[in-house]
Amino acid sequence: MKEYFKLQFLMTIRKLSDGSRPIVGYLLALLISLVFVGVSFWLLSDKYDNAPYIYVFASLFFISKLSEIRRNDFLKICFANRQYRKVRMLENLLITLPFVLFLVYKQHFYLTFILVAITVLMALLNFKATYNIIIPTPFYKKPFEFTVGFRNSFFMFFIAYVLAIIAVKVDNFNLGIFALVLIFLTIFGYYLKPENEYFIWVYNCTPTKFLIEKIKTALLFSFCLSLPVLLLLSILYFEHIGVMLIFTFLGFLYLATWILAKYSAYPEEIGIMQGIIFAFGLFPPMLIVIIPIFANQSINKLKEILK
Amino acid sequence: MISIQNLSKSFGAKQVLKNITIQFNKGQVYGIVGENGAGKTTLFRCIAGLENYEGQIISELSPLKNHLGLLFTEPFFFTKITGREYIRLLCNARKERVSNIDDKNIFDLPLNQYASTYSTGMKKKLALLAILLQNNQCFVLDEPFNGVDIHSNIIIIDLIHKLKDLGKTIIISSHIFSTLSDTCDEIYLLKEGEIIQKVFREDFEALELEMREFTVGNKIERLELK
Repeated sequence: MKEYFKLQFLMTIRKLSDGSRPIVGYLLALLISLVFVGVSFWLLSDKYDNAPYIYVFASLFFISKLSEIRRNDFLKICFANRQYRKVRMLENLLITLPFVLFLVYKQHFYLTFILVAITVLMALLNFKATYNIIIPTPFYKKPFEFTVGFRNSFFMFFIAYVLAIIAVKVDNFNLGIFALVLIFLTIFGYYLKPENEYFIWVYNCTPTKFLIEKIKTALLFSFCLSLPVLLLLSILYFEHIGVMLIFTFLGFLYLATWILAKYSAYPEEIGIMQGIIFAFGLFPPMLIVIIPIFANQSINKLKEILK
Repeated sequence: MISIQNLSKSFGAKQVLKNITIQFNKGQVYGIVGENGAGKTTLFRCIAGLENYEGQIISELSPLKNHLGLLFTEPFFFTKITGREYIRLLCNARKERVSNIDDKNIFDLPLNQYASTYSTGMKKKLALLAILLQNNQCFVLDEPFNGVDIHSNIIIIDLIHKLKDLGKTIIISSHIFSTLSDTCDEIYLLKEGEIIQKVFREDFEALELEMREFTVGNKIERLELK
């Protein structure tokens, strides 16, 4: 078990160092820890009433990543039953610990108790029973990003639509815009991981055509998913339609850039370098430079497969 | 027709394919046999254009990859995509419109279930069905019989015969010799990245005996089973 956790630590450092020297991984780990401390102090300051709940949800989000079925099946093969439970419980608690410390420090004892209880429960529960339910998707005709993505995150759209309705009820346009941003952020997640090379190789087209098709599909489907929020806000906040259109346009633009970033890193996942370049694009005029860079790199990477 | 001339491939210092020259003609079925690690999959990946290599792979179909149905030993599936959607994805990619998928579901696969939940054999059958529906001219099938039930094995053998009659080029690797002798016109023996033998149909039986003698030898006796 000690060996397992040692290996997990090494894997994390290797992932952070992204092929460069391990020291980069250690420095990044330190940086992430500092950011975490900063964000925790900011979120748990008494300014925001609902922030502790978001904090707990964030912690549970990280834990849920460890509950992946294949990963757990592998652990079950490696460890005896009792040891497996111990490992799962320990790794869940290790992830929760920093969150728990801050919650205790800010005297949110009730939430701390709930968080720890769910953490332990998630190590014990088997989620496999729900695995085979086929979630219907409106995107079944054009697999795979939106077909798979929608099935994994349909609840996020539900949350976004509910937020948009709440925004109207409490007359808070900014909350409505947040719902729109949430939709785009969810869709960004669909393009996070590189697909198996076979699903690029199989395409009967040039790299440029391939990228255009991918972006076209992404823009069309993301428009469909954001349409309910757009309609609701444009009817009830017609005076702010300019702001809404700017956010929507930027959403489309960043989504296209993100797709290009994904293929510019292919076959690797989007790494630190792409992340830094993309971050420059948060100042929108920089996209004029960034998009051609990513597009060029993507075409070169795809040329190796779509010869 | 696919003509491979002086094909070599190295991974770092390790040379995996050495100066391979083969010609695959239309309407013929070719078998590639060899031990694990002999270079079969690398050869297939080179033909598909998934690896860079030295030498030449020439085909009248240009680019070859757009007319090639490639079946991997272990096909990859996304976690939340149904069998039907997988077929649609592969056919869309080749701009091939596919209708009446249910009628064409010759392996009786549960197409409305997630493909990732299929058994090994079902996954193989789904991947095979998808590349058949793409209407390819050439097929590279890496272990198409592996993990597949006996009924489907019979169907696959008949399918290969049908593809041959339609003038397609088929290249197969298999560790089950009987499936190769049932389907192939020629078999190439690959050893440590080199083609060491080319055998025609009339000599398949001799090749099987020779391989058995060479592979098994006295290995089982060495176990001293009691």
